[in-house]
Amino acid sequence: MDLPNTPASAATLAKTLKAMSDIVGAAAVFATDEDRDAYSDRFPIDPHRHRPYAAVAPTTTEQIQALVRVAAAHRVPIWTVSRGKNLGYGTAAPVVAGSIILDLSRMQKIEVDVENATVLLEPGVGFYDLYDYLQTRNIPLMMSVPGNSWGSVIGNALDRGLGYTPYGEHTRNLCGLEVVLPDGEVVRTGMGAMRNSPSWQLHKYGYGPAWDQLFVQSNFGIVTKAGMWLMPQPEIIRGFDVEMDRMEDLGPLIDTIGPLRREGVLLQSPTIGNWFRAANILTTRKQWTDKPGSLSDDVISAIRKQFGLGWWGVSLRLYGRETVVQANLDILEKALKAINPMSMKPFSWRPGEAFAPTQGGWMGVPMTFPLQSAAWFGGRGGHIGFSPVLTQSGRLAMEQFRRTYARYKEFGMDYQASFAFGERHLLNVNAVLLNLDDPEFMKRVDPFLRTLIADARQHGYGEYRAHIDYMDVVADCYDYNDHALRRLNERIKDALDPAGVLSPGKSGIWPRSYRREGRA
Amino acid sequence: MRQLLLIALAAMPAVTAQAADLDGKQLFHQKCEMCHGPVGMGTGLLARRMKVAQLEKRDDLSAAYVERAARVGVLNMPPITRGDVSDAQLKSIALYLSKGKP
Repeated sequence: MDLPNTPASAATLAKTLKAMSDIVGAAAVFATDEDRDAYSDRFPIDPHRHRPYAAVAPTTTEQIQALVRVAAAHRVPIWTVSRGKNLGYGTAAPVVAGSIILDLSRMQKIEVDVENATVLLEPGVGFYDLYDYLQTRNIPLMMSVPGNSWGSVIGNALDRGLGYTPYGEHTRNLCGLEVVLPDGEVVRTGMGAMRNSPSWQLHKYGYGPAWDQLFVQSNFGIVTKAGMWLMPQPEIIRGFDVEMDRMEDLGPLIDTIGPLRREGVLLQSPTIGNWFRAANILTTRKQWTDKPGSLSDDVISAIRKQFGLGWWGVSLRLYGRETVVQANLDILEKALKAINPMSMKPFSWRPGEAFAPTQGGWMGVPMTFPLQSAAWFGGRGGHIGFSPVLTQSGRLAMEQFRRTYARYKEFGMDYQASFAFGERHLLNVNAVLLNLDDPEFMKRVDPFLRTLIADARQHGYGEYRAHIDYMDVVADCYDYNDHALRRLNERIKDALDPAGVLSPGKSGIWPRSYRREGRA
Repeated sequence: MRQLLLIALAAMPAVTAQAADLDGKQLFHQKCEMCHGPVGMGTGLLARRMKVAQLEKRDDLSAAYVERAARVGVLNMPPITRGDVSDAQLKSIALYLSKGKP
């Protein structure tokens, strides 16, 4: 076994785990070497760097209260995961090796309020679980799902994950949390702070400061229930699958979509993807070239031709009543034709109609097939994200694209990128595809990611989300007034979690006892 | 009619998605089908190297193999944690996929 990288001794860890076993039962404690591997990062730069000591799987809020009290008493770090499927960001693995994983997979309650289009969920509910629940009961509510929908609905919203429908900014759908604080106290946010409120899942703020976002991407508490808004099923979905031929078409495409998104003609979160984002699901590198380094323009042209892909593609979708959708479709069509797409394929779907499985993301149907990109190099692979927050400016996005693409070529990486619209911002979600069977390749990944982060920082672009290896360096980019935000986070961390046991290092937030360690 | 349906559904009590006594087929649907169903990642990748890519359609699986594959992972299949799928659940799934072969 690897030596734990926690401040706790082996004897303390064993004693803590025994106390935890008394709370959850031995059948919910996982501490073999195989368990430690299973809870490690699956898309790692170094699989041993974040190996946990063990995992425990509570089933109730009361058990979690007892577990955090035990952890605090022994000063043993615990790392909470909802389902532990955060692929590309660390999977189930903790920042601090030797932590005990709190795996909430077995907390699976679902309460749907059909009339108000809300759901109250426990963290173990996956996108597929909720989808099945709605489908088998014919509930006319639509989810929004991420490109890898294996994980937890709450976990994804708490990590600010993205989908493709009008409810695609998942963290915005949160409405009311139940949270276990580091001292074991349970608090409910928003209207849930009233014992008998009927509007916990309806009004996001309650009275006074609103705390939901305090528990998003943080280590200030453990979310044991979350309210989420669901979308009333639309009468119809229509739109276009658009392909743009040249790489310089990115700017005009962004400048066409941006105003329509800000105005509300488009309510979804459209994602512009490059050709590779579509192709690496369908094929492998070896079918096209045996040369190392970034793919050549000739190879890119051949792959694009084979699959009919533009350099950029985007699926635009309109949701709602048919008459309104038709009116907006006319506006959208006219705007798109003005920038001469390579192709523009119309799309139309009504609830109940069949659809191609690859189209499901726009109807909130969970999917895993995009993870086929892990096999791009032929063997074991994966990806790590690099996702700076940009503005909706075609010119500035084009400049960021050119800088990033040049770096991918410099480091010999194949360029996968997307540009995902928020209501005002643009997320440049890049994936660095890994070749886990090639140690020489893997050595280039870390310096490459650090270079990308530094480049973006120079232009004022920070990331919205990070892999466990990059939480510190990303947090460091948020440097206004000599990192005043970090100091604020640390003051809150120390006040709520004086023992420093809840997910130390999450989002670059370290408790006092760790502060000279772990910095990037 | 739709209004009546909504009211009926709104009154439904909370339920737990995971019942204790599910059989292997149901467990396969809950725990595995996202990747090993007709359009999942697992089926997509297996189809590149096998004639029969969907696990439910194979007749060459043993329960022991399914259990080991799930726990340690195969190529790009990640290991399945015991928090997600318990040993007893995995055994049911494995027996379902192996059609009873140990």
